[in-house]
Parts: sequence; structure tokens; C-alpha cells
Amino acid sequence: MELTSRHREALTELINIGYGRAASALSELTGRRIILDVPKVDVFPVEHVGKALSKVLRGDVASVHQVFSGPLAGNALLLLDQEAAMLLNALLLDQPVGSRLDAAGREALIEVGNIVLNACLGVFGNLLQVQVTFAVPSLHLESVTGVLGSISVQEEELQYALMVHTRFRLKDSNVSGYLVIVLGITSFSRLLHELDHWETRQLSR
Amino acid sequence: MNARILIIDDSGFARRSLRQVLEGAGHTVEEAKDGHEALERYFLAKPDLVLLDMVMEGMNGMEVLTKLRELDKEARVIVATADIQASTKAEAQAGGARGFITKPFDREQVLKAVSTVLTGGMTWN
Repeated sequence: MELTSRHREALTELINIGYGRAASALSELTGRRIILDVPKVDVFPVEHVGKALSKVLRGDVASVHQVFSGPLAGNALLLLDQEAAMLLNALLLDQPVGSRLDAAGREALIEVGNIVLNACLGVFGNLLQVQVTFAVPSLHLESVTGVLGSISVQEEELQYALMVHTRFRLKDSNVSGYLVIVLGITSFSRLLHELDHWETRQLSR
Repeated sequence: MNARILIIDDSGFARRSLRQVLEGAGHTVEEAKDGHEALERYFLAKPDLVLLDMVMEGMNGMEVLTKLRELDKEARVIVATADIQASTKAEAQAGGARGFITKPFDREQVLKAVSTVLTGGMTWN
């Protein structure tokens, strides 16, 4: 399963806008400048998503996971290594950096994940003119392998996933996180279809 | 105008943030963490205004909005959500909300929206 160069360009543009909005939201929440790497777009067999994620994140991670549904359905994840999670927690709650997340810290991270993931996916919904419906987000503190246990792709779908990921960093710090979106093949096909329509609308303005 | 405002959001972080802003401006705040608690609180506390999240376990925001409006046609509700989609805003408007603000909130945005709706206006920016 391959993306054409035209689809890759349109998708990259869409992601730039969505992730840019997500970074803007994160910047407002933390009061820090957020630096985004160029997003990477890959199509994998579903069983390889874990391997791909393990390449970019090691050890235990804090993940805010949000399932979304509608014409585009899948999983969105904000993944933070432990250091990033503690720093983000400290910035949000305006307190010194700690070594563990208490209940207030967990709540704060879930809300941040909710805002950031909605910012990104909401842009997709607006630009592609499809309604995306979000489930309640959840927070997990575990290995990347553990995170993958919570990613669901409908069994009746073909076994491919579109993974879009980018690293972001808080300026003046070494901490970073990842935004990951995984779509099953049915949604992936719908996404490509809507990208074509979006491009047509853009060109006719 | 100092008002009694009910915040309905399953996130304690969001409720605390809004409480800080609203109490700082002299309003009285009630909280509910889900739809069922929200309906109970609404009729006990009789707030002047509701700030309502959309994505919650159990009853979601639209269900709460519908129920509130069924039970009190004059209910003044501002949807306060992370969902920035235009379609969600349209749904909220069609459901009888009087305003729509998106997270992350800033103090001015929240207070302006509250003031507008309390004085009989609507806020959809």
C-alpha cells in the first residue's frame, strides 16, 4: 500500500496545519515555544506500528490516547517520555518538577492531551469537511508495547495503518513528545478521497 | 454582574481552571463532573449560566444540553470544549446553546463570553 506523491503532499500540508494548531494549543498551555519536527507519514502493516513507535520512543511513556470515529476513525496519541511528562506537569500546575504523577498531575496531562489531540484532529475535520467524533481520552503510564495494546483497528479492516508522527520539543529544554495518529485502511481510503476534494476546493479559491 | 455559574466538565483540571477565572471575577461557581450530576445541580443551584463540556462519559454534552433545554427553556448554556470543529459549533447552536468557546481557555475569552450571554447576547466567535 503506497501513497502517491500528490497524496503525500496534500497529507503533509494537512498535517502541518493540524499539528501546528496542536503546537499552538500546547504553547498556550505551557507558556513555552514549541518546536515541531517535520511530520513523517508512513503506511505500515498494523503489526509493525509497534516496531515503528519503539524506534522513536524508549522506556516507559505517558500516553494520552483518544479514539475517534466517524468517516475518519482511528486512534490519536500524545506520547511523552517520563521527563517530558514531569516537566509538562510542572508547567501546567505551576509547581516544581516532581518525580511522579499524582492525581492532579494525571488529570492535567489528560486534559492537555485532550486539547492537543482535538486541536489537530479538529483541523482535519474542518478542512476535509467531515465530522470527527471523539471518545473520552485516557492516560496510560507504561511501555510503548503496552500502549499498543490499547490501539484498536477494526478487525474486518485490512491490516494496514497510516501512521503520522512528529516530534515536538519545548524550547530551551531537551524534553520532547510525539503526536501519533493511526488509521485503519477504510479510514485511510476515505482520507485520500477527502484529500482529493480538499485539493480541488483549494485550487478553485 | 456577579452570577452563579455551573461548570460541567469531567476534567477536574478544566473545572479548577475555570473556577479560578470566574471566582476571580466575582462569580459564584458550582461544579458537576458528569451529566447526571449536572442535571441535579442545575435544579438545586439554579445557576444563571452553564459552561458545558461536550465529551464526557455517560451523557455527553449534547445530551445534557438537550435535557437542560427540555426542562428549562430559558437555560443559558455556553459550550466550552476542546473540539474546534465547525460542525460541533453548529450542532451546539442548533441545540440551543448561546455560545461556544474552545480550549485552551484564556481569561478574557471566558469572561467576555460569560458577560455577553448573561446580558442576553450570544457568542459564536
